[in-house]
Amino acid sequence: MSFNVVLTVFLNGLAMGMVYALVAMGIILLVRAIGVLNFAQGELLMLGAYITFALQVQMELPIWVVVPVALISFAVIALIFMFTIYWPLRDASYPTAIIIATMGASIVIKEIAMLVWGGLPLRMPPLLENEATGGALLVNIAGVNVSWQLILTAVVGMVIIGLVFFIFEKLYAGKMIQAASQDKFAAELMGIPTIVTTAATYIISITLAGVGGFMVGPIFTVNVTLGTLLLRAFAGVIIGGLGNIKGAIIGSVLVGLIESTAAVRWSTYKDAVIFLVLLAFLVVRPQGLFGMKIKDKA
Amino acid sequence: MKSQKKKIKISALVVLAVSLMFAIFIPVMFQGYSLMVVNISLIYAIITLGISIMLGMGGQLSFGGLAFMGYGAYFVANVCTGRLGFKIPTLLALVLAPIFCAVLAYMIGLILLKLKDTYFTFATIALVQVSFSFFMNYRPLFGGPDGISGIPNLSVGGYELKDNNHWFYFLIGVLVVLAIIVERIRTSAFGRALASVRDNDTAALTLGVDVYKTKVKAFAIAGMLGGFAGALYVMQGNFVASDLFAYNNATQFIIMAMVGGINNTFGSIVGSVLITILPEAFRSLERYLQLFYGLAVILLMVFMPMGLSGMSQQLGKWLRRLIWNPSAKKAGGAKQ
Repeated sequence: MSFNVVLTVFLNGLAMGMVYALVAMGIILLVRAIGVLNFAQGELLMLGAYITFALQVQMELPIWVVVPVALISFAVIALIFMFTIYWPLRDASYPTAIIIATMGASIVIKEIAMLVWGGLPLRMPPLLENEATGGALLVNIAGVNVSWQLILTAVVGMVIIGLVFFIFEKLYAGKMIQAASQDKFAAELMGIPTIVTTAATYIISITLAGVGGFMVGPIFTVNVTLGTLLLRAFAGVIIGGLGNIKGAIIGSVLVGLIESTAAVRWSTYKDAVIFLVLLAFLVVRPQGLFGMKIKDKA
Repeated sequence: MKSQKKKIKISALVVLAVSLMFAIFIPVMFQGYSLMVVNISLIYAIITLGISIMLGMGGQLSFGGLAFMGYGAYFVANVCTGRLGFKIPTLLALVLAPIFCAVLAYMIGLILLKLKDTYFTFATIALVQVSFSFFMNYRPLFGGPDGISGIPNLSVGGYELKDNNHWFYFLIGVLVVLAIIVERIRTSAFGRALASVRDNDTAALTLGVDVYKTKVKAFAIAGMLGGFAGALYVMQGNFVASDLFAYNNATQFIIMAMVGGINNTFGSIVGSVLITILPEAFRSLERYLQLFYGLAVILLMVFMPMGLSGMSQQLGKWLRRLIWNPSAKKAGGAKQ
């Protein structure tokens, strides 16, 4: 492989890996906080892409309006999602029921998007656009033209992941959320309002997916199949070790890199390659790269 | 004890009556394409039975049934069309496909069931994805994106199942036999071992249940049912294409099992028949159909996590109390 191929593969992989990491983080946060595997996370990413498309293209708002409005709408969606899918089912006698409900939710979200925006893929302009050609703005790194969108995706991903770590590790609120997620009963006894921490977890988790959608919209088109990115995020979660956020991020980036490498050599089989690697991981090191620190609740 | 026996008999009679009515009226009411949809729903019910064994009896959420359906389907497609240079009779293929899938599932299960709960679920998702990728792209065995066509109809002892009517009666018969077998499994020692694994695997272990082997066996049975369904599917449709084996369909089968009632044989059949037939019945609402379907799944899980069979059991209990002992209604209701 020549240098430009390597660089393109690396940047593609890193950018997509960051998107998977955003989704994966959301999945892990929910698994840790309430023990629910959210099968609708991919569709929430898709919804994020559609919402930003509506704000940016259909309403033609400038970017500094789009971002806060999008973030607020993600938070509102998170609350709706929590109170319709999780809240009525929190005491369900059959734990799988809630997982099935998230599958139902993924269908509902997909269909709503279909009804509102139609089934056709929509083209979303990249964040930094080349005024002359209307295409993506390119940057020349060591003689290779790289799209700014990929670099931005990677950077935004890293910044947001850093931010979430900051919230959870440094802020008191983050510690409250973590305490509530590890032992709800004890946290209640300590006076932590677990409904608030659960809502916060949902908001963070779904905002992560929404931002992921915002970033991938211009890379792919905005379409209803974006939900299938969830499976790659799942792969990242498992490779990193379920229940471990750092592991999930590294695992997701690894999945992104494997995917973009596989796309060069076996483009038709790149899905097979990713999931064969996942199966190999499960067989050789079932606890994932970083093991797991907490009990598997899901 | 006596009343217990009587109750089972009544429910069995109801089930028998319903299936008889179904068998008599369906071919009269539906013809052509609609009857084919009914047939397909019956085939899907076979996979759903496998899920009910894995998830309902064993508590293991597995997406793998769909992958084994694919293996069964492509097995038949290859050995019955002469793609590999030889041809075997369809009946023999129909027997060999589930055996092939059971052996395969047993071997895969030996590896995957070392994993617990969520890890196992993810592993089966990976299995479905890898299989789908090969079904879609590998031409020599799976025909690539074009699929494989020209698969012969099933012929039993010189009698060929040509049209949808023949298939309907054949499938009803097969399904009744399978339902009886699954019901037997539920009450057998193996079924009880599986239930103990579901409820508490540590306790099961201390009681002398080989948790790992029990799960592997259940996975093999589910794989066998999947393979059998796949074989029937291709013989019925004379064609196999990869898009049937995509991950989305795997979630659909799990939803079918949950809608019918996860630990209920008859419920799994009802669930798969309902979910396959209703979209065809409401063609005019096509735009909103999937949306209603998703909403219905959520509502059902919220109000009736045990599915339709759970709902009918509650209803039956309530009716019985109302008819036989109206005065005790309030007291019993309070206990619930």
